[in-house]
Amino acid sequence: MILAALILILSTAMFFFYFQVTCQRILRRQFDREYFQSIVNANRLEFPSLRKSLEEFGAPVDYPRLRMMLKCDFLALTYLLKNAANVNQRYSNEERLLILYFRWQFLSLAARRLLKVGEKKAVLKLTSVLQYFANVVGQRVNTVRFGNLTAADYLLNL
Amino acid sequence: MGISVASYGLQYGCFIIEAGLILYLARSNQLKTRPTPLLYLLSLLVAALMRAFVLHEYGLASRQYFYVYWSTDFLLVISAFLLVCFFFRRACRHEEKMWRFVRLLLVFIFVLILGISGLVFSRNYKDLFPYFVFEFNENLYFTCLVLNTLLYLLLQQIDSADDQLGLLVCGVGIQFAGPAATLALVHLTTAERFAQALNSFAIPLCTLGMLLVWAYAIVRVPDTASEVARPKVPVLAEATADLNV
Repeated sequence: MILAALILILSTAMFFFYFQVTCQRILRRQFDREYFQSIVNANRLEFPSLRKSLEEFGAPVDYPRLRMMLKCDFLALTYLLKNAANVNQRYSNEERLLILYFRWQFLSLAARRLLKVGEKKAVLKLTSVLQYFANVVGQRVNTVRFGNLTAADYLLNL
Repeated sequence: MGISVASYGLQYGCFIIEAGLILYLARSNQLKTRPTPLLYLLSLLVAALMRAFVLHEYGLASRQYFYVYWSTDFLLVISAFLLVCFFFRRACRHEEKMWRFVRLLLVFIFVLILGISGLVFSRNYKDLFPYFVFEFNENLYFTCLVLNTLLYLLLQQIDSADDQLGLLVCGVGIQFAGPAATLALVHLTTAERFAQALNSFAIPLCTLGMLLVWAYAIVRVPDTASEVARPKVPVLAEATADLNV
């Protein structure tokens, strides 16, 4: 009984550990340039300013507003992921996994808020997921814009 | 009805991804350089197909299904252990000294598990096969989970640049940890229907999770293990520098 309980606790902890590490490894993917900036500007997303304020100033943020900002950015980006320059009109496997990770972190943010532990860290993780999504959307849009054009074609079309 | 349809859906999803990954590995050059993930995928597929066939032919309560289930489980556990050994080998690619130590340790652990599982012989003389296999599978499975976690820590320690290996290890972690937790919960819980539903959902879901992570790692993440290798022959700059001297 005790051994089974111990195995249950250890295995559950390891499961969530591996889940988190897998997501963080996917988020570490390097893009050849910062595609997210154009998507952020075009859609007036708020996560970069939120992250900047947290990283540089450690500014305390109004919690309901913070949740709303993250949620709105998440909804906008997941919509774009599915519909913008996506021929299949569906998420890829890693995107599904990261969507799950985002929801999990979003829930944990509420718990951290209650316990007053590591709230800033959770918000930074959430913004890193949003940045990854914006990078993917930006890269796709960029590929479609220039995909079938040679350099000469592009210049002639300007 | 709904639960069994969803459970079948999950199983078929796993079959398709396993077959797809095996084909992808067989068609790409990774077959020669990385045979163990392919072997593990093959054993997963063969075990699942054999179980499905025997279940269909003889039924859940039959003795044939019982023996096939536990024999394929034995096959899976052995191939899982081999997979972890292969990952250790790959992680210690440039650390020969460390590999020699790790190899000894892995052999020692295997023999230890064999010995501990063999203790059941002293308790049960009848039905040696099921008792030994239950014990051995359980012990080796949890050992694989612990070894996999140690491997992950080793990768962090040596600051490995092999991103593909990191993701493969994480996938295996999901595959080992999820079922271990589920089986422990099933053992602890008294509600049989809940345990059955949990068993039929959680374990295929973890396998699916591992397969998706592996698919991402194999298809999308470049294999950098060979790129970070220290060249055995001098690179061009060193050779020309030697000539100038």
